[in-house]
Amino acid sequence: MSHRLDVRLVKQLPGFTLDVEWTGGEGVAALFGPSGAGKTLTLQCLAGLLRPDAGRIVTDGRVLFDSDTATDLPPQKRRVGYVFQGYALFPHLSVADNVAFGLRDRPRAEARRRTAEVIARMGLEGLEDRSPREISGGQRQRVALGRALAPDPALLLLDEPLSALDAPLRSSLRDELKQILSDWGTTAVLVTHDFTEAYRLGDRIVVYEDGHVIQAAPRAELLWQPASERVAGIVGIRNVLHGTVLKATADRIQFRWREQVLEAVNSPTRSYLPAPESSLAFFIRPEYVRLIRKDRGTPDPGHHMNLMSGRVVGEADFGTTWTLYFKLDTPGRPAQGDYDLEVEVPRLVYEILEISRDRQWQLSIHRGSIHVLPSA
Amino acid sequence: MSPQSLSALWLSVKVSLVATALVALIGIPLAYVLARRRFWGRAAVDTLVTLPLILPPTVTGYYLIVVLGRRGVLGAPLYEATGFTIAFTWYAAAIAATVMALPLLVRTASAAIASVDRELEKAAYTLGRSEWRTALEVTLPLARNGILAGLVLAFARALGEFGATLMLAGNIPGKTQTVPLSIYTAVQTGETHEALLLVGLLTVLSCAVLVAAGRLGARAQ
Repeated sequence: MSHRLDVRLVKQLPGFTLDVEWTGGEGVAALFGPSGAGKTLTLQCLAGLLRPDAGRIVTDGRVLFDSDTATDLPPQKRRVGYVFQGYALFPHLSVADNVAFGLRDRPRAEARRRTAEVIARMGLEGLEDRSPREISGGQRQRVALGRALAPDPALLLLDEPLSALDAPLRSSLRDELKQILSDWGTTAVLVTHDFTEAYRLGDRIVVYEDGHVIQAAPRAELLWQPASERVAGIVGIRNVLHGTVLKATADRIQFRWREQVLEAVNSPTRSYLPAPESSLAFFIRPEYVRLIRKDRGTPDPGHHMNLMSGRVVGEADFGTTWTLYFKLDTPGRPAQGDYDLEVEVPRLVYEILEISRDRQWQLSIHRGSIHVLPSA
Repeated sequence: MSPQSLSALWLSVKVSLVATALVALIGIPLAYVLARRRFWGRAAVDTLVTLPLILPPTVTGYYLIVVLGRRGVLGAPLYEATGFTIAFTWYAAAIAATVMALPLLVRTASAAIASVDRELEKAAYTLGRSEWRTALEVTLPLARNGILAGLVLAFARALGEFGATLMLAGNIPGKTQTVPLSIYTAVQTGETHEALLLVGLLTVLSCAVLVAAGRLGARAQ
């Protein structure tokens, strides 16, 4: 069965307006953005805990809210499972009673069978009679998930599901959560301010900023084709730079940056043709900048595109990788403060090339690795 | 102990238990509504309930006469319809004790209810519970210790009620004379021994109540 979730919401609060529209469905939609962007507010509207001023919420053809027809199902009737930020487990009930809480309407025997089934699937056997206070953070997360999933909701909402956990636990529980979400196959909406989390858990990412959606796209598209410079900034893309257009065709764009001519592939899905001399935003992923080995002869311009030379003016050790800050040899002010390009190299490369000793390098960037951003 | 003191003790216990039951019945829903709902006139209700805590008990007693006395706002129609009047019966003592003890429960219980995490209630709503069921299954059980502590305090207050009871119920031995009134009478008539006995009894009882309330309060933290 295919799932679909349509959301359109307007909610006016003192000093803040939420005005969003996006579509989710199949799998997990991750609402991503800085704190205070309206993500949790959206979840509360979806759950019926907060009434929007206007809009429409439809999941799999079921209208949960529609201001035009004055439809507003109460939270009890929405068939929505909610995993709260701090899990909100009932402290006066056992693990089993927490999981069984949403099964009240079912015949007793069936409720008991379903509770046992959920506890087994969540790997919580043996903890049934414990109090939520007596179990670990990861187990608490699974109880919260189990409680929300037990009544078989049409929609699962998760508010910062990993933020209550310590850092070392987070990444392992992130993978566990991903597994659970894909096993149950319930349409889910997840809120997070951590892009890694959004990318790992979301099939689709909806980027929030200041009460608005600035891009909603499959996760890979977001990473490689951000809709604007703002999206690029929010998702943490490095080396977002500005040049001046020289010539644009359907498949190539030539532009000037830092006194040199660079060539980029025009975006295949939204190729556009900016006028010569207009300003152009683009980005270069730090891990896609190549350092040219000095022991292999002079670089061949036919093979090594977008050749430049520069000097390492700063570096940072991230354990498995090194980040190098390059200042180009061309005159003029560096593009990003005191450097022009951030370049990431694997630790092995850093050691083999003896970068700690040798600071002057030639760089090459394949034209396919320069990503042109649509003008705002 | 004289038969008169014994009947005063029995009356005091009966009045206090009835008053505590009434306080629970009226006070717990009131505390929930004050803690969880925003409605027009909320501040007025809050003030009205708390007022007996601040006013001199005789003033509260006077208001009770104005409302429930034979010629009172409610008392007069009741007397005309049934020939019965609440004033100067043990019911009057129970009502006076209820009114005086109510703010102690409402204050304590609404603070306890307000401190229950609202997310827990929201979680219950999304799991299909109505607000009413949520209050019974989540909010009140979690505020239980605060509510119990409030009830213990209310019981103690009812046990010691003097001024308002004297105004509405009088001081009729064997009928409306509770232990505090009995002590007053004993002192006035020079029965020092009887007074001392009752004073000791009430002191011990109050200390026990205070310890109980303290325990419950500590567990509520």
